[in-house]
This record gives sequence, structure tokens and C-alpha cells, in this order.
Amino acid sequence: MARKLIRVSRRMLFTWLMLAGLILLFAPQNLTNNFQFAFARLFRLPLAVGRNISLFTRSWQSRPGITNRRESEYENYIANLTEQLHSERQLVEKLTTLRNKFGLQGADLIPADVVTASIGGAHCELIIYCRREHGLAKGQFVLGDNSIIGTISDVSAPNAKVRLFTDPASKIPVRIGKLNIDRVMQGSGNNSAKVSLLSTKHNIKVGDHVLTCKKPGFLDTSLIIGTVARCKPDEQNPSLWDITVKPVCDIERLNSVTVIIMNPQE
Amino acid sequence: MRWLRFAVFILIVTVLQVSLLGIVAVTQLNIRPNLLLILLVFFAIYCNTTDAIITSFAIGFAADISIASVMGSHTISFGLLGTALAYLHRVIAIRKMPYQSLAIFVIGSLAGALAHLLALLKGQAAISNIYTVILGTALYSAIVGPVLFLPAAWWMRIKTHRFSRH
Repeated sequence: MARKLIRVSRRMLFTWLMLAGLILLFAPQNLTNNFQFAFARLFRLPLAVGRNISLFTRSWQSRPGITNRRESEYENYIANLTEQLHSERQLVEKLTTLRNKFGLQGADLIPADVVTASIGGAHCELIIYCRREHGLAKGQFVLGDNSIIGTISDVSAPNAKVRLFTDPASKIPVRIGKLNIDRVMQGSGNNSAKVSLLSTKHNIKVGDHVLTCKKPGFLDTSLIIGTVARCKPDEQNPSLWDITVKPVCDIERLNSVTVIIMNPQE
Repeated sequence: MRWLRFAVFILIVTVLQVSLLGIVAVTQLNIRPNLLLILLVFFAIYCNTTDAIITSFAIGFAADISIASVMGSHTISFGLLGTALAYLHRVIAIRKMPYQSLAIFVIGSLAGALAHLLALLKGQAAISNIYTVILGTALYSAIVGPVLFLPAAWWMRIKTHRFSRH
């Protein structure tokens, strides 16, 4: 049977593909994000395996001298690491009891696994796989190692995208230490965020805790989000502080996080 | 062009890019080679122009679903620059490793900058050190890229030693 070939000129092909790219670019982001969620959902297993290998290798690299040890020591190390991973999993379960400790009474805490993590580049975000999908919504706060790491920016249950507080698009109201003044913290991309518009008359020190402000419907209590890593007078306006905030947990190495749902609907 | 092989190859590389490349990341900025960028240059050099156009957009789409925050930015930038490189290759053959490295560096820098500008157009917030990340990624990719052309050529059954301009 003769095959009917559809001949398309290169110029036409390029035009059509460029048009498709432009449609993707200008289509609403909540629609186009579904491609990313579909990718994360389809390849969740290989992505998780690759991520675990990557994390293992990085922790292995950070321990000089281990290459000179015998094979049995490698096996012990792997066993210890596996146990560590297991205890991390248990931690997530334990987090469900946090509501009594941190003023999260009535809150629903959803454990979630980290599928992919983009940190340090143009955008800082995680794609997570939630073990329960009921009640997930945009704007909900996410806990990692008992500290706030960001907010949900998009949901395609059971997956969700977490915009980390270090992302340039992230703006979260915070207060520093014991100061009773709220200021907006904006991500600066390099695993850090900036707090501006705070007068130098206030005493701020490196190491001071930075806490999220309460946000009705999303967070009924203040929780730690980072610490002051650098504090210097602003170059353009020396009467204001230029404060750099770092996360209090190693976000890149998080395997699991917890989504806070303050007012769960039964 | 063996399109099924190409599809499988791109999927594998995309998963590797997202999950495993953290092992070789350097500096505080977490700079890592961009395998998809390397493949973009590979297919632009070793395929005929029509195939190069299709592969460029396909690789751009793969970059969008895996590493981009704004969908479409990499599809357009990779598609545009991959096509430009394929046409350039009809005039200037890029066969030696140093030239291939240079091509990866230039295309990586331009594609990264263009993707970032398109993301800004879509309303994404600006980031202070983005151009350091773009140049670092392009440089890292340029260093390792030509070496990875050999396994890519083996998988795609493309003869790299053949000299031709399509």
C-alpha cells in the first residue's frame, strides 16, 4: 500500500512549532503546570530512586576518608543511612502529633514525599507527592524539619508544587526575633531571602530567629522559617537594614515534608 | 531519524537531569551541566535540518516540563537557537571538539538568557544571580558536552565521523 506522505516545508514546520511554543508560554500557568505534574507523576519512581542516589552520594562525598575503608565499612555505612532514611519516615508520622506542640490544634497535617527539587537556580521549588490529597489548596504552608519552607503554589492532586520562601516570587510576612514588627520577606534565589524596610534603630543580630506571621485560614500560629545570616545597613538607604535570611533546614536534602491545612473540612 | 529511540532517549535524559545531576553540582549556586542543552547541539549538528528543527522544539519541551518554572520559555528558546544552529551548520561545519564546546557554550548562554527573558515577560520575578547561573551552566555543559556526544551517537546510531552538511 502506498504511503501517503504529508510534505511540510521547513519554514512551515518551524512556524507551527514556534506557534505551539508561544501558546504554551501564554496559556494560563495552572493549565501548563499540568505537564510538569504529569511528568512528576509518571516518573515518580525513577525520580525518587535517582534523587536518593544523588542524596546518598552527596552525603558520602562530604565524609573524607571513607574511600580508604574496607568493603564491610561501606555496607555498615549504607545500613546506617538506610536506618536514617527510615527514621526520617518515622519523623513524618511523628509530625502528625505536632499540632499539640506548636499550637496547630485542629490543623490537618498531610505528609508528602519530595519528588523533585529545584534549588539555587532561577526558581526555587519542590514538586511533592501528597499521601492524602483531600483539602490541598494554594497558599497552604509547608513544613520541613519543623520549620516553614514555603507555600503551595499549585495543586494537581496528589501532586503539588511548593514555592520555597527563597524563590524570588515568594513574599511572606515575617517578624524577626522578639521585635513586634511585621515585614515582608522576599526570596532572593540563592538559597536565601531578604527582609527590607526595617529601621536600623531596631537591634538585629546575626542568628536571630525569623518567624512567619499568623495568616488567618492558613497559619494560626507563628513558626520558625529561618535565621538572620547577614545584617548590614542598606547601601541605598543607610537608615534601613539589609537583612539576609537563610533556611534553618537543608531543604535540598529533605525527603519528606508536611502540608499544614489549618481548617480541614470533614 | 529513529524517532522511537529519540523519544526514549530524551525521557531517560530528562529523568537523569532532574534526579541524578545533583551529584556533579558545583558551587553554592548548584551549577550542573544541562544534558538537554548538550543534546540540542548534538542533534543540530548531526541531523538534517528538518529533523534538527523538530528535535530542538522537542528537547525544549522536555526542558520545560523538567527544569523550567514557566512552560514554553525553553520550547521557544531551544527551538529558535537549535534551528539557527542547524542552519549555521549548513554553512560552517562544527566537527571538532573545541568548536562543539564553543557551540554548546554560546547556545547555552543565549538559550538561558532568552528563556529567562521570556519568563520575565510571563511575570516571573527577577533574580540577581541568574546570569551567573546561566553562564556557569553553559560553561559546565561545554566542558562535558563533546564527550557525551559519543554515547549519544551510539544510542541514536548516528555516524559522527561522516562529514556532511545537510
